Amino acid sequence: MLLLAVLAMASSLATALGIVSSSMEKRVAEEVRKYGANLVIIPESARLDVGSGGLNFGVVSEPSYLQQKQVEEALVKSALKAEVSFHLRGALQLKDADIMVEGVNFSDIRRLFPWWQLKGNWPAAGETIVGSDLASRMKLKVGDIVELAGSNNKIPLRVSGIVASGGEEDGLLFMALPELQRALGLDGQLTLVRLMVTAGGDSLKKSASALQMLLPAAKVNEVRQTARTSEGLLAKVKLLMLMVTAVVLVSAGSSVAGTMSTTVLERGKEIGLMKAMGGTRWEVMLIFCGEAAMLGVLGGLAGYVFGSVIAQFITKTVFSASADFIPWFAGISLGVSLFLALLGSIGPMISVFRLDPVRSLRGE
Amino acid sequence: MVALKLIPHLLSWAGILLVLLRGYSERRSVVMKTSITGFTGGVAGAIILFRTFPETIPFGSIKTALAVSFFLLWVFSVAAVYSSTARRVPISRRGRFVNTSLCAGAVAFLAGMVAGAICTCRFPATASNTLTFIVLVLAAGALAYALVFCVRIIERLLPPSFTVSPSGMLIAVVAFLLFSSSSILRLDLFSPLSMKVMKGIHDFVHQFMESILIPDHLFVRSVVWKYIGILFSKGVGFWGGMVIWFTPAFLIVLAVNFERLPSVAHIRQGAQRRKLLAAAIKARRHRLVIPLLSVVILAAAAYQSSFPSTEYWDPKPIPISANQSGEIIIPKKGEVNLEDGKLHKYLFKQGDREARFFIMVTPEGQLTVDLDACAICKPDGYGQAEGSVICYYCKTLIPLETVGKPGGCNPVPVVFSVKGDNVAINGMTLINTWGSTVQATTRVKEGGK
Amino acid sequence: MAETIIETNGLTRSYGDICALKPLDLQVPEGEWLSVMGHSGSGKSTLMNLVGGLDRPSDGSLRVGGEDLLALSEDGLARFRREFVGIIFQQHHLIPYLTAVENVMMAQYFHSVPDEAEARTALERVGLGHRLKNRPGELSGGEQQRVCIARAIINSPKLLLGDEPTGNLDNKSTIMVMELLKELRAEERFTVIMVTHNQEVAAWGDRTIYLDDGVLVREERMNS
Repeated sequence: MLLLAVLAMASSLATALGIVSSSMEKRVAEEVRKYGANLVIIPESARLDVGSGGLNFGVVSEPSYLQQKQVEEALVKSALKAEVSFHLRGALQLKDADIMVEGVNFSDIRRLFPWWQLKGNWPAAGETIVGSDLASRMKLKVGDIVELAGSNNKIPLRVSGIVASGGEEDGLLFMALPELQRALGLDGQLTLVRLMVTAGGDSLKKSASALQMLLPAAKVNEVRQTARTSEGLLAKVKLLMLMVTAVVLVSAGSSVAGTMSTTVLERGKEIGLMKAMGGTRWEVMLIFCGEAAMLGVLGGLAGYVFGSVIAQFITKTVFSASADFIPWFAGISLGVSLFLALLGSIGPMISVFRLDPVRSLRGE
Repeated sequence: MVALKLIPHLLSWAGILLVLLRGYSERRSVVMKTSITGFTGGVAGAIILFRTFPETIPFGSIKTALAVSFFLLWVFSVAAVYSSTARRVPISRRGRFVNTSLCAGAVAFLAGMVAGAICTCRFPATASNTLTFIVLVLAAGALAYALVFCVRIIERLLPPSFTVSPSGMLIAVVAFLLFSSSSILRLDLFSPLSMKVMKGIHDFVHQFMESILIPDHLFVRSVVWKYIGILFSKGVGFWGGMVIWFTPAFLIVLAVNFERLPSVAHIRQGAQRRKLLAAAIKARRHRLVIPLLSVVILAAAAYQSSFPSTEYWDPKPIPISANQSGEIIIPKKGEVNLEDGKLHKYLFKQGDREARFFIMVTPEGQLTVDLDACAICKPDGYGQAEGSVICYYCKTLIPLETVGKPGGCNPVPVVFSVKGDNVAINGMTLINTWGSTVQATTRVKEGGK
Repeated sequence: MAETIIETNGLTRSYGDICALKPLDLQVPEGEWLSVMGHSGSGKSTLMNLVGGLDRPSDGSLRVGGEDLLALSEDGLARFRREFVGIIFQQHHLIPYLTAVENVMMAQYFHSVPDEAEARTALERVGLGHRLKNRPGELSGGEQQRVCIARAIINSPKLLLGDEPTGNLDNKSTIMVMELLKELRAEERFTVIMVTHNQEVAAWGDRTIYLDDGVLVREERMNS
């Protein structure tokens, strides 16, 4: 009975994890796509390669800009429910080196990029935050004063924090948008607008095309970047699941082996009797193997049912979606259970094979 | 190296020999002698046939022999089921005849002959070159001798309780022969069988629809059409073929399973009675092994026939366009040599319409241009194997000699002209021929008129 | 003169240094009822196991029913046991979750094929026709031992071995079981070897041998 439970549990876990991970692939991609910015607006001629990470200087050498006013008007007209963040990117000199500087509104950033890890504080006026890569390259610490040289003037800024996001932000210096606009002499101009539209699937495409209509001079793109990172995440989660399954299987296997050998010990007299009555060693072993296999099959079937239920539960609670019903997982569940049952009983079977009827009947 | 290709065939023969030796355990020497004689005779006979007649005749006759053996198997399996379920099992004349050495010899001889002939069919072309031929025969002979030797040893090693019933023997023999032949395209039985089934059902449904059920299909709802459509799908032919293919084997398994146990009521002592019963059950179980094994072999044969290992010559269609006057001009000896005896595929596009066709030279030296489709099947195209082209959809083999002639599953010929060293085809005609044939076939296949 | 069914020559069995059975020469004619007496550890159980094909001797020769047990393989011994020997144990060794009939059928299963009707008849013969479907736990000691006897004789063995079959039984049951065995022997004509330390039980036999420390010390023939 215990054996059956163990087998059922192991195979149900394998099934559940299998089903979850296979339905997760679709769900997670959809889920994650809802987070973070999902639309970007870039000027028509800019060859800004969204989502490819890293931005080389060549691309912005012939920059074209979005008019902040136009974008704001378009957003109002389109009546989209969206979080917006305006970006302007440009090169400034710091200690005779060109560095990329991005002008942003920090309050928007805090809403749209909740995953930024900030050492220090969000900046106040006259302050800046620096990407972690840049900071280490330029040997900047929180509290340092940096002096940026623009086209016509110099701006002293205090570093209030160092940001790490794992993305291209790590190589940038961030300052308030109006300040950068002034420094570069590009009042009211933007290089990029990020939007987080709270909608998924088709409606995202619709809002993109609606915005595009209103902004003929710009390009509205859907961002696949989040999907890509989520794929990486997914692979990791899958690996994790695989490892958990492996651990579960190994422990279940040893538990099966333990249970089987106690069963064989307990039933030693029975085995001895069978042998004394004239069962050959093979016949007796086959009987016990058959028993193990039967338990394996039962466990597998029960495991499939349980596993499906567990998978339903997991996907309901975690992804708030129903799991797919995948019939061929019954085969996997059955196979896992049978395999475990037989593998776990190899040792006990050998002892059944070897058992000496005289001694077992005497009760040794 | 070529001799290695013979191994599956020789193994099949060895399998036949093994089963027959065990089946006629008292007439081992007869079986052994006749089987070897049959095999040699088969090889020699096939070689003579190949030398004196065109290839179609030996292939045809061997295929007929196979078909007859399969038919015999059917008859025998039904008889076996009947006799095993009948109340009284009279020892019929048949039963006695099966055990004579005459029958043993005949079966071994015939099986050996067909097996030998199949082996020869593997290399019909090599039979003309004397030197390679002799080497090949020697190599095959050595292999066969080694196999016979192995078979004798294996047969001795098998436990004596392992017996084969006559029906088990027959099914094993036929299964091995079919397995052996399934790898040779022109001897294969399974694909033609499933094709026949498909065509049979097809025709039947047509006749039924047209003559009996309704004069007008308007009454038939689309749902019904969907089901009728199933009858037209390729799966029907395949599964129907499967049923016919495996039924005799299962009948024989059933027959063995239903075999009556010996009457033990007269034995008074319980233990002895039970021992007899147990021995009988064990023997019956052993007799089941060969029919079950035959099922596996038959399955392997069907698999081999459905996914032949033969590589087809199937070039990628070359896109081609017409000149201003709407003519497609292809030089005979341009980038591709049209006269090398292989088929060359082209893809012609005009607007959104396209047509696939091929050009080849038949063995008689006749240049021919044909659509890569026939008037019956879906346009899955053709591939070329030795001596024939094959329709990928229905697996029908069309001898190269008849390519260029219309009808049946032959590729639809296209009108063309030879202008100097060029082949000229009218683009419009091509597109239209493609359109009319392919549209007609797809419409029929989608299950509706 | 009946044929000899058991013939031993210098039969020895030692477990490591301990010699459970010193060289023993013994002949048992077919159909005899032999009682083996001796106190615990005298080697009587060892003798029985050897004769029953459950154990292999360390030395000497052992022929049972014309079969040289030393020459048999492990599986050959098992086959010998199933066809030739029936054993009755002191602790019965019935399988607790099977009914009486099923316990008997198990012996049939290992011998050849189970036959329920025959198993029922056998149980009826030992007077348990009314307790066919009871499990061993629901039977008294005497009844359990009778199931054991039915199981031991179901395959018509030539040799019936009893390892203190009455050791756990009260007087009345003992007599019943012994009567039953005597009756069955009269019908089936099997040879009986019975290990016991009860003088009265031994007295049911034709001949009694006394073992002490693995050595045959005394032999006594009963007058029936």
